[in-house]
Amino acid sequence: MEMINQFLASQVMQESLAPALLIAVVASSMSVMVMAHRLSFLTVGVSHASLAGLGLAVTLSLPLLPTATVFALFVTFLLASMPKRQGITEDAGTGMLFAGSMALGVVLISTASRYEVDLFGLLFGNILTISATEMEWLLLVAAAIIISMLFLARAWWSIAFDPITAAASGLPVSTMRLVLYGATGLTVIMCVKLAGIVLTTGLLVLPAACAWFWGRSLSGLWLLSVIFSVIGTIAGLMISYHKDWPSGATIVLALCCIFILSWGGAWLKQRAQKHKPQES
Amino acid sequence: MSAPYLHISNLSFGPDKAPVLDQINLTLDAGHFMGIIGPNGAGKSTLLSMIAGLLHPDSGQIELFGKTLGPLSRHRLLKQVGFLNQLHDHEPRLPLRVRDVVAMGTPDYAAPLWKTLWQKTPHENAIMEALEQVEMADLADRDFRHLSGGQRQRIRLARALVRKPKLLLLDEPSAALDSKRQDQLYALLRRLSSEQGMTIIMVEHDIAAITAYVDSVACLNRRIHYHAMHGDQIPENIWTEMYGDHVHIVAHDAGCIGCAHPDEHLEEDR
Repeated sequence: MEMINQFLASQVMQESLAPALLIAVVASSMSVMVMAHRLSFLTVGVSHASLAGLGLAVTLSLPLLPTATVFALFVTFLLASMPKRQGITEDAGTGMLFAGSMALGVVLISTASRYEVDLFGLLFGNILTISATEMEWLLLVAAAIIISMLFLARAWWSIAFDPITAAASGLPVSTMRLVLYGATGLTVIMCVKLAGIVLTTGLLVLPAACAWFWGRSLSGLWLLSVIFSVIGTIAGLMISYHKDWPSGATIVLALCCIFILSWGGAWLKQRAQKHKPQES
Repeated sequence: MSAPYLHISNLSFGPDKAPVLDQINLTLDAGHFMGIIGPNGAGKSTLLSMIAGLLHPDSGQIELFGKTLGPLSRHRLLKQVGFLNQLHDHEPRLPLRVRDVVAMGTPDYAAPLWKTLWQKTPHENAIMEALEQVEMADLADRDFRHLSGGQRQRIRLARALVRKPKLLLLDEPSAALDSKRQDQLYALLRRLSSEQGMTIIMVEHDIAAITAYVDSVACLNRRIHYHAMHGDQIPENIWTEMYGDHVHIVAHDAGCIGCAHPDEHLEEDR
């Protein structure tokens, strides 16, 4: 109780709770689609590629988040347009772009002076230092993602289930996939602010992975994913405040714990069902 | 007179030297049930994919319900078409109940969320009706991933039926079904065609199994070699043309098209 009171009284935490929850809700919503479309490696690629975007921003003295956003979108669409017919599959393309832009980022950032770049913050996230302009930018990006989800969530869902039948029912599947990739790229950028380049994939995979054990429909998975993510984020922030651990890493750890608990729960449930008399 | 449900004129696809489909012409009216047979690689699935709007012909055109199928008309026309593609051996990963899988076949499933959010279970009746048609209604709340291959295939059929299509395209629908279920499937399709005026095109391998149910059979191998209508027998030379030396595999027990239902058929044989 003491811990919660302290947590709520802390000004840093008060200021970081709102953006952290915003990111949690948006990322966990998109994470359902990331799971359904198997895009987790894409999120790894785009988040690491954003280092090059941040490097560019530092070198050219451009605003960090907007530059990173544009660069992430560029990388995402580049990945979507990989020549799959010639056998360059998405995972190979992601692997190449991931390494290439990470290398570019490292070179660019190494040339910048040390005081300009909070490298630890970039790599592992730092929600505690969010500025007002950054918050505005986050809200803008979040709005774009949520609006595209409101329009396309069900279409994306049916494409994930069976793309051929979805196309045969008249959906413009390739356009909708492109928008999905774009929205995923935007979500990655939001998450980089909270969890950093290295840990972003955790925010984009873990919530839905936890929900996968329990949900049986799109709305169910979506709701569970958001609930798990919000619980993990609040718990992670509290623990990080209490123990003075890095916030992004603690949130990802909390989500991992929820995943393991879900896994165990699902296993127990399955065992219980096995021992029940079989129906029909 | 109303336009035919399907009109294909001079359709070709593939390189000029080795076309996959060559000069296909076909017209089907409401309530016609057609089977397509042909050897592997004959272009059966390609033709079906073109009618389903998944591939564009290199030349010629497809008209559905009197309107040309093109990029602009596609969305509207395909809402009236049900499509069951060839069964691929993929394991479904998404956690979904059977009823949610069938719901994906409803014409406005992919509409923006706010349009559908307020209806708790849109199309509930249509979904249950489609499930009853394939005798899967009691499994409506089961997890789709835990069903057998044959059960999944019937659910997929229900998903194609739930929109009450005017034109139904089926690519080897009997795959994964045992022979009893196959006969039930063909009987259901016959009923839908006769009673609801649904036009059905079905690709199948086994002509003997379908002759009793269909109105016509098209023999396809790159082009339509023969379109056997009601009461017709497919001539011997067509089989040789299509299958070469392997003709005995398919031709020996092909009866005349739509002559009798299987039960009557047996009595005739006796």
